[in-house]
Amino acid sequence: MTTFLNNFPILAIMTLFLGAFLTSLVGRRFAPARNVLVVLSVTLPLAMMLALVKPVLIDGEVITYWMGNWAPEAGWAIGISLEVDALSLFFALIVTVAVFVSALYSFTYMNHDDSLVNYYTLFLMLSGSVLGLVLSGDLFNIFVMIEIMTFTSVALTAFRNRQEGALEGAFKYLAVGSLGSTCVLLGVAMIYSQLHTLNLAQIAALLPEQAENPVLLAAFAFLLVGFGSKAFLFPFHPLAADAHAVAPASISLMISGVLTKCGVYGIIRLCYVLYQNIDLPFVQYLVTGLGTVSMFVCVTMAFNQHNFKRLLAFHSISQVGYVLAAVGLGTALGLTSGLYHAMNHTIFKGLLFLTAGAVQHQTGSLNLDELGGLGKKMPQTCLLFLIGAASISGLPPFNGFASKWMIYQAAFEKGAETGNFFYVAVCLIALITSVLTLASFIKVAQSVFFGQYNEKFGQVREVPLAMRLPMWILAALCVAAGLLPELVQRYLLTPAVNAVFGVANYIDQAMGAGYAAAHGIVETALPELAEIGCWDPVSWLVLLFCFTCAIAIVALLAAPNDLSRVPVSSAREDGEALDAKYEPFFSGEESVYSQVGGSDLFWGFKHNWRRYFRLMHDWHSGVVNDYTLYAAVAMAAVLAACVILL
Amino acid sequence: MTTLLWNLFYLLVFPGLLFSVAVGLLLAGLDRKLVARMQRRVGPPLLQPWYDFLKCCGKETIIPRHAKRAVYLAAPVVGFVALLTVSLFLPVMGFTAFSTVADLVVILYLLTLTSAAMIVGAAASGSPFAGVGLSREMVSILSYELPLVLVILAVGRAAGESAGGVTFSLAVIGEYQAANGPLITHWSLIPAALAMLFVIPCEIGMHPFDVAEAETEICEGTLAEYSGPPLALFRLTHAVKMYTMTALFCALFLGGLTTGVPALDAVILVALCAVLTFVTMSLPHAACARFKVEQVFKFYWTVVAALAALSLILVWLGL
Amino acid sequence: MMLVNYIGSFALVVLGIYCMVVKHNMIKTIIGMGLVDYGANLLIVSIGFNAGGTAPIFSIAELDPSSFFVDPVPQALTLTSIVIGACTTAMSLSLVIRMREQYGTLDTRRIRRLNG
Repeated sequence: MTTFLNNFPILAIMTLFLGAFLTSLVGRRFAPARNVLVVLSVTLPLAMMLALVKPVLIDGEVITYWMGNWAPEAGWAIGISLEVDALSLFFALIVTVAVFVSALYSFTYMNHDDSLVNYYTLFLMLSGSVLGLVLSGDLFNIFVMIEIMTFTSVALTAFRNRQEGALEGAFKYLAVGSLGSTCVLLGVAMIYSQLHTLNLAQIAALLPEQAENPVLLAAFAFLLVGFGSKAFLFPFHPLAADAHAVAPASISLMISGVLTKCGVYGIIRLCYVLYQNIDLPFVQYLVTGLGTVSMFVCVTMAFNQHNFKRLLAFHSISQVGYVLAAVGLGTALGLTSGLYHAMNHTIFKGLLFLTAGAVQHQTGSLNLDELGGLGKKMPQTCLLFLIGAASISGLPPFNGFASKWMIYQAAFEKGAETGNFFYVAVCLIALITSVLTLASFIKVAQSVFFGQYNEKFGQVREVPLAMRLPMWILAALCVAAGLLPELVQRYLLTPAVNAVFGVANYIDQAMGAGYAAAHGIVETALPELAEIGCWDPVSWLVLLFCFTCAIAIVALLAAPNDLSRVPVSSAREDGEALDAKYEPFFSGEESVYSQVGGSDLFWGFKHNWRRYFRLMHDWHSGVVNDYTLYAAVAMAAVLAACVILL
Repeated sequence: MTTLLWNLFYLLVFPGLLFSVAVGLLLAGLDRKLVARMQRRVGPPLLQPWYDFLKCCGKETIIPRHAKRAVYLAAPVVGFVALLTVSLFLPVMGFTAFSTVADLVVILYLLTLTSAAMIVGAAASGSPFAGVGLSREMVSILSYELPLVLVILAVGRAAGESAGGVTFSLAVIGEYQAANGPLITHWSLIPAALAMLFVIPCEIGMHPFDVAEAETEICEGTLAEYSGPPLALFRLTHAVKMYTMTALFCALFLGGLTTGVPALDAVILVALCAVLTFVTMSLPHAACARFKVEQVFKFYWTVVAALAALSLILVWLGL
Repeated sequence: MMLVNYIGSFALVVLGIYCMVVKHNMIKTIIGMGLVDYGANLLIVSIGFNAGGTAPIFSIAELDPSSFFVDPVPQALTLTSIVIGACTTAMSLSLVIRMREQYGTLDTRRIRRLNG
């Protein structure tokens, strides 16, 4: 196992941090050199992670790297380790792909801003810290990486500090986020006080022996709240909304696609590997319940929004809620679907944030009440947005559908297994949330891309290729992950799930063979996974054929009418009378600018729920003290529940 | 090779394109005739929807100036193909073309996709009337979705007992009914069946629930700008939906009855669909005035959802 | 003896959170954040402390089972965590300075343009 590949995890992290350092060193003078550096430092880790796919995901090895060769002695892990199993690599792949796409997008997207050196330095540090977090085998390192992650993302949120609200969003994120980080720190300290080790593998071996220890239970509560705050779960979700709304779009992609995944990763490690208590009904209720509440509250909050990216932010948490609800089920199918949805969420939500960024880049606005009709001006962005929207709403054949289907199946099966109505309610809420998501994206589509164009934005053009390319990459991934769920499952999900359930192997690889067995952790039989039943490529290919035929027929039937393409202004200049039949129907009146969009939509729904919406609006007051209060209450509640009920 | 040919046959003739279109248009004609008779009018001939469709196809396609051309033209096709896919998965009493590949969740989402395509098409037309229409269409989707999901969960639980707890698979539901009699004969599922009967007209957008198309208020709402073949396709989708939804009801609650001869099965299914059309669409159409949009939402999330939830709870308690 | 430390650290954390929840002045919010940090630091240091232990400076040869020293790891952790706490304070103070310029106030109740 001492191949060169073993060095890749540390090299990948080092590349990003070194890139950050070098960027700040040389980038101030030479912009091209800076760009080359950035490209290199995001491409190399991606390549290294891809190189690890073969040994880790396919052959099922666990790569352990001891910093400075401080291998464990006498059964004690004295060094700091990186430990890469399939779960870590799965998340590392998500991280590196998202970082790559985000960096590619930044080059053109950020060209309206100055002091870009700072931006790229912080960006690379952020990337390095999240990669370090998912690859780390040391609990304290995870805390340090979380802190670096929080700082850099706060700084990047405030990067456009002249924009309204940027500083405010950053400050709230920092204040309440620091409370979350402190929770992690307290949890780490408590675990250390009982077990005298910080190595994940050794903790995993020692912990189950002392499962009743109240200090360790308190540590569990603190770590859960800490990781939950990093995933912006309810009640930490207002932070995400504030931060996303003001951050640059490439950073929104990172926050929603990568940072929240780190929280999810932490929770999976915590419940499945460290404490191995996911089988307890209480933990399942807690995690699934948190996920379900986040999923529902955030999707309804999205109905109130007038800002494109703020709306996306709420959906982001809603989707993370799906992931967590599935992870909390504790079954193999639940974990598989959760991981699948986590991956899909990074892809489609990244795509959506990038389209929002494209709109912002070209028009300078994100206000849903004043945008409109951009579909004609930015056709490709519109198409990309529709792909992303269909994916997040779970419409077939995109990726969101496959993973959501699995989540419903998992929750419903779990309900039948346990005879517990709670899981049926979870399934029900998940299904309803999916429709609400669709409604919300219909609102965005109508308000931004369709309807009538607001002339106040002047001549808007499609974004340049350098910005479209990253979006197309993500869109292609959306379609691929949706059409080939079996491949995704075989090569990505199943190894990760097996790694999570094969705790004994994880411990032995780090601490030496037999260590797990000595502490009573036995190798469990790997769970049988249900095949994805909803999908049969052959008949769908036939359908696709049929679909193409139908499109062709309609395209032939619809004779081109070029008159509709003549812009109003030029027709007027030519003195040509406008043909009234190409004007929008206005009950016989002369047509005027009239855009139905933004908050006017879905009145019938909001009217019936007006009390709920008013309450929610008051709760999300925007005052940092209130958000701190929610965080503190959540902390206290989870702590009390864990210590009393576990 | 023969498999491919068979698949093409399923897709294009039975139970796919030709069959569902023919039955759908027949049901649409029947509905119009029945409503007319109840209102003491003569009513159009039974084949009137066919004539309308063909005539509409011959008209010019006008693309309004504010429309997003590609989406505007693609939306009707996407919606129609999605609905056609649903009809492939629905059992014709005993006979199913693609039995193992799909289940209720797929059908649920494909139905949503059909409605979503209509909404996106309306949005792409750039008309303010369509804007109001799509908003109302979405609210009506939200309205019926909760009861529909509850019904599906109840049925999935009731029929899944033999297959290890729960099921989303139509095939399993069919087998269960073949062995234990149609699910509507289980008293605990009768509220769910009632709820489903309410869901059908709202999902199709038939008269008392046609808030999205309300001709007298918002000029056909979602379809305000459509003309020519795309409009014809939307009308066709509407008609086929009548077949799909009634057949879905048959699959969920009246399944398992089969004569063994597909042709005869098809005739029985059409007869059942016709009866359901009369009960769920023609009768309310003739009897009620159109609801307001917030009334629709309230009605479905309280009364209908309560019916479906009652069933779900009863089934869950093992009754 | 150690109990006092634990109670103290708990009190610091609670006090800090109280300060963050109740005080509407942003500087005081930051002070609250600092208090929470100090509480956590005190907890970690106390965990590693052994009454009567010597400084943990040994070479491998000197090390034997009878040597009694304080646990060095928590001290390292505390150092890291203090540095991080200082960063947090610096970062938040710099944000507050800019916010004072933009909003003209330090009152959190009036800095709520992002809400709802």
